[in-house]
Amino acid sequence: MKKNERVTLLVVIAAGISSIVVQLITIREFLAQFHGNEFVISLILFNWLILGGIGTLVAHLITPRYWEPSSSRLCQLSFILAALSVIQIYSIRELRDFFFVHGSSVGFYPTLAYIFLTIAPYCLLIGFILPYSLFVLRAKTPDYSGTRIYITDNIGDITGGALFSFALVFLVTPLKAIFIANLPLVAASFLLFSFTGKQRKYLKIIPGAAITLLLLAAGIFFEPFSLAPSEGKLVHYSESRYGRIAVHQDNGQHTLFTDGVPVFSTQNQSIAEETIHYPLAQLDNPQRVLLISGEGGIMKELKKHGLKTVDYVELDPEITAVQFKFGLIENIEGLNVINQDGRAFLADSDKIYDAIILNLPEPDTFQVNRFFTDQFFSLVKKRLAPDGVLSFSMEGYDNYLAEPQRQKLSSLYNTVKNHFKHVLLMPGLKIFFLCRDISIKTDIPARLAEKGIIARYIRGYYYGNLTKKRISDLNNLMDPNTPKNSDDSPLLMRLMFSQWFAKFSSSPVGFIAALAGLTIIYLFRIKREEFVLFSTGAMTMGSEILIIFAFQIFYGYIYFQIGLIITVFLAGLLPGALLGDRLREGGKQILVLTDGLLITLMGILILALKMGGDRLPSFFFLVFGFMVSLACGFQFPVALHLGGGGNSAVTRSFSADLIGAACGTLITSLVFLPYFGIIWATAGLIFLKLASLIVIGTPKLSNFLRRYVLRS
Amino acid sequence: MKTISRRDFLYYSGALLSTAMFADVCRPFAGDGRFISGLDDIRGKVFKNDAPKTLWKWSHEGFLYDKLDDGKVVCGICPHRCILAPGDRSVCRSKVNINGKLYSLAYGNPCAVNNDPVEKKPLFHFRPRSMVFSLATTGCNFRCLNCQNWEISQAKPHEVRNHELFPAEAVETAQRLGSESIAYTYSEAVTFFEYMIDIARLAKEKGLHNLWISNGYINQKPLLELCKVLDGANINLKSYSDDIYRKLNGGRLQPVLNTLKTLHEQKIHLEVTTLVVPGYIDDEEMIKQMCGWILDNIGPDYPLHFLRFFPKYKLDGLPPTPVSTLTRFRELAIKEGIRYVYVGNVPNHEGNNTYCHNCSKLLIEREGYFLPTYNLTGNKCKFCGTKIPGVWDNSASRRD
Ligand code: SF4
Repeated sequence: MKKNERVTLLVVIAAGISSIVVQLITIREFLAQFHGNEFVISLILFNWLILGGIGTLVAHLITPRYWEPSSSRLCQLSFILAALSVIQIYSIRELRDFFFVHGSSVGFYPTLAYIFLTIAPYCLLIGFILPYSLFVLRAKTPDYSGTRIYITDNIGDITGGALFSFALVFLVTPLKAIFIANLPLVAASFLLFSFTGKQRKYLKIIPGAAITLLLLAAGIFFEPFSLAPSEGKLVHYSESRYGRIAVHQDNGQHTLFTDGVPVFSTQNQSIAEETIHYPLAQLDNPQRVLLISGEGGIMKELKKHGLKTVDYVELDPEITAVQFKFGLIENIEGLNVINQDGRAFLADSDKIYDAIILNLPEPDTFQVNRFFTDQFFSLVKKRLAPDGVLSFSMEGYDNYLAEPQRQKLSSLYNTVKNHFKHVLLMPGLKIFFLCRDISIKTDIPARLAEKGIIARYIRGYYYGNLTKKRISDLNNLMDPNTPKNSDDSPLLMRLMFSQWFAKFSSSPVGFIAALAGLTIIYLFRIKREEFVLFSTGAMTMGSEILIIFAFQIFYGYIYFQIGLIITVFLAGLLPGALLGDRLREGGKQILVLTDGLLITLMGILILALKMGGDRLPSFFFLVFGFMVSLACGFQFPVALHLGGGGNSAVTRSFSADLIGAACGTLITSLVFLPYFGIIWATAGLIFLKLASLIVIGTPKLSNFLRRYVLRS
Repeated sequence: MKTISRRDFLYYSGALLSTAMFADVCRPFAGDGRFISGLDDIRGKVFKNDAPKTLWKWSHEGFLYDKLDDGKVVCGICPHRCILAPGDRSVCRSKVNINGKLYSLAYGNPCAVNNDPVEKKPLFHFRPRSMVFSLATTGCNFRCLNCQNWEISQAKPHEVRNHELFPAEAVETAQRLGSESIAYTYSEAVTFFEYMIDIARLAKEKGLHNLWISNGYINQKPLLELCKVLDGANINLKSYSDDIYRKLNGGRLQPVLNTLKTLHEQKIHLEVTTLVVPGYIDDEEMIKQMCGWILDNIGPDYPLHFLRFFPKYKLDGLPPTPVSTLTRFRELAIKEGIRYVYVGNVPNHEGNNTYCHNCSKLLIEREGYFLPTYNLTGNKCKFCGTKIPGVWDNSASRRD
């Protein structure tokens, strides 16, 4: 291999490293800016694929006809790419308040548009650079193999994924990670330029490299300023394994934000009193309480009940450290802090509690949904004393219970009612669910007075806010026909999804319909081999989304693992492609075989999920991801070979894979998962692959179908 | 027919999808008020061709409107002055133009009905400890991002479950429940003006009081009509900045100030509420200016409530208001000269209580809706005999 070629390949690898690290940091940044909603992940991946595809297409259209490929241009583009990565992260942080009202949440279309806008420059360029590098190499060696570039890019992607998941995520802040991940790109480009042989080349290259490095360094320097809140000041910031943690101090009040959402405040007496006294007032002599997550001021209220033990479970040790540091949680006698996932703790522990109190946000993510399912409530029941009480809350309403929320509460009510004889909803700014096997008392102030406990908020406001009429009105509104919520069919998520759209008076239907229309037209225009690639692309990204969501459902967190998942889904592509390149002569039969393998893999996934998703080791999901990407990587060179292998075949195959991947991302996350649950979502992907098997295996039938549908 | 190539197809699809996405993000530039944006105001727009084909039983002809050419009508109730062509629905979602006539679809169909303590409104100087029959239909002429009642204020009448309570039944129910007053509250009563005024007139005849809890975004003429039967009002002065009014609430400041002046001139008992939203309405200078306006235009006697903000509806990324900010604002307003300044949504704060503006002694201690201390005799301070502004009575231990 010539020196020049070697260095060009180094640039490709470095661009791969940069792109994956930037993609992962972008996802984390959006999770922190847009309230940690998983749908955001799929929207980012969708946009990333589409924009990358457009970049690639542009490269094919304008090079080499209008823009002669050259190493020096590749260097300049690489510098711009590195610089754009910093600009991208800053844009995401800073433009939010420019486009949207500060402090407000954002609906579906604006989120989609905002993602598109902020990541467009970087993604277009990264999509452009890969084929451009190929053209640079082909300028010197006209028959240079496209597969080699594909494989080299994969090496960069995997390296980037591993670098981020195993090192950067633990060690550095986002902008430092961007700096580190882009250094190889700057260095490789510098090296490549030094081989261009132009005179006075260093005069040109040094300022370019210096400006890029300066921008990357400035990113680190200004990072603390970009995180400063508009209200008060930032007194703590960290990126934990589970999310972004920030504490804002404003006029003596500390508020803890996780992923941009204010979750704890030091001055929240009303919620603290309601959370603790509603359930504990039910019990004559409570001794052992389990708290899953907390709320400012609750320990003070718990103390009033003279408990023996309080087990406080909080997944993230950094959050508990911060809570104690800023007085969001006080240390009381008998308090045990347990840093473990609440659900896993309940499954492992054999302790029996008098009261289990959940303090969780709304179930608008799979992570939270798993605390409100049939399976979870059955676990809770096993850990409660016979007269014990379970309590949790949902967002309340002032004067009218809107329909999506009524459905949500009804589903929860029906789910929990399956396990407890008595379930009562207490209205208010938060709606508290009290669940027991013996009857529930509603005169909380009287019960507290009997026990000699003073709760001033409840004493003053309870009778005015929780009249008998208001309590019975709410409970009478529960609809017994609403289906229950379960781990694998998360109805609450779907209802939250509808509530989200209702809040913004919008619907994703228009977008999905437009997309579906374009996809159908596209599908009737492509070759059989391309359809295989399309379906494999859809299946790979669909399974990636499935695994991301499965992690959320079964383990409850994603912020840290997202890098790992994306990396394993990349890791199989490289050996797959190498193997496929060798066996490509096998043609259609090989494609049929791999399609069969993919269907089997998905079948195994369904079986595994059915047998007990949360007992599966995370390793299983990672191996699954690797196998799927292996099959995908394998099919690419085979289909390319079947398609003829020329320049236009490369573009067509790449497009099919890419459009399939984009469609798979969206349909799995926006339609399959929320509406049909994880099992049926997997079945949906199997169906897609079966269609591909039919298309490739039975050409006559597919030709007939194509003609029939096109004619009709 | 020439078919497009795959490349073209990909290119155009990408372009098309991108355009669709940008349509929304670019809306701020186009000034469509129904879209939330940091660039423009969020004032509502008329819903074109959104009216039902026929009227339903809870319809009533508009109280105040003019007919224009082409069957169009213009509503005269609030400063939006919606111009509706036949088939259109108003900004507040409650009014429609059917065959050249303006109708309210919110008449006799309240979706929220409760019997509340008067302190909950909040009205601290109006017959303390009394119960208030409170009702609301859907609809609001604002678009507040932090609306507490968005489920009804941002809904159309047919989108909710409703009770049937025509004016006579409403008054009868209030009497049956032992309420002394009827409050038009929760969503925005301006938008069900026809229903409100008919109940209020009947209630007045039957000896009940009428309380109006509102954003104050109303025109002079209907307001004067309302004042004829009104006993008390709590007006939400959302901020003292027209810019914030436009961005956070979807309205304008001046009409609200006009309402405060009119209520003062008409000698209606008035209390003013301001929700202190961090980052928007927590600027001391603005609060000073607001107090200055109140003192210059309506005087020092009307109670002013500073309420604590909690993340809600679309404004859910902000922290709650620090209690010390509210305490500071209360002190500042008192220092400026306003006599009765309260802190709301903070239990057991000193600012929940009433202190005599003359002798500073504790007149009313409030623990939520429970009033353990009551030191007024009639409308006077028990200690120094100073007349305390408000509407008081002697049955001070009614509810407790
Ligand atoms: S009351 Fe309603 S219809 Fe009338 S002007 Fe105001 S917003 Fe428009």
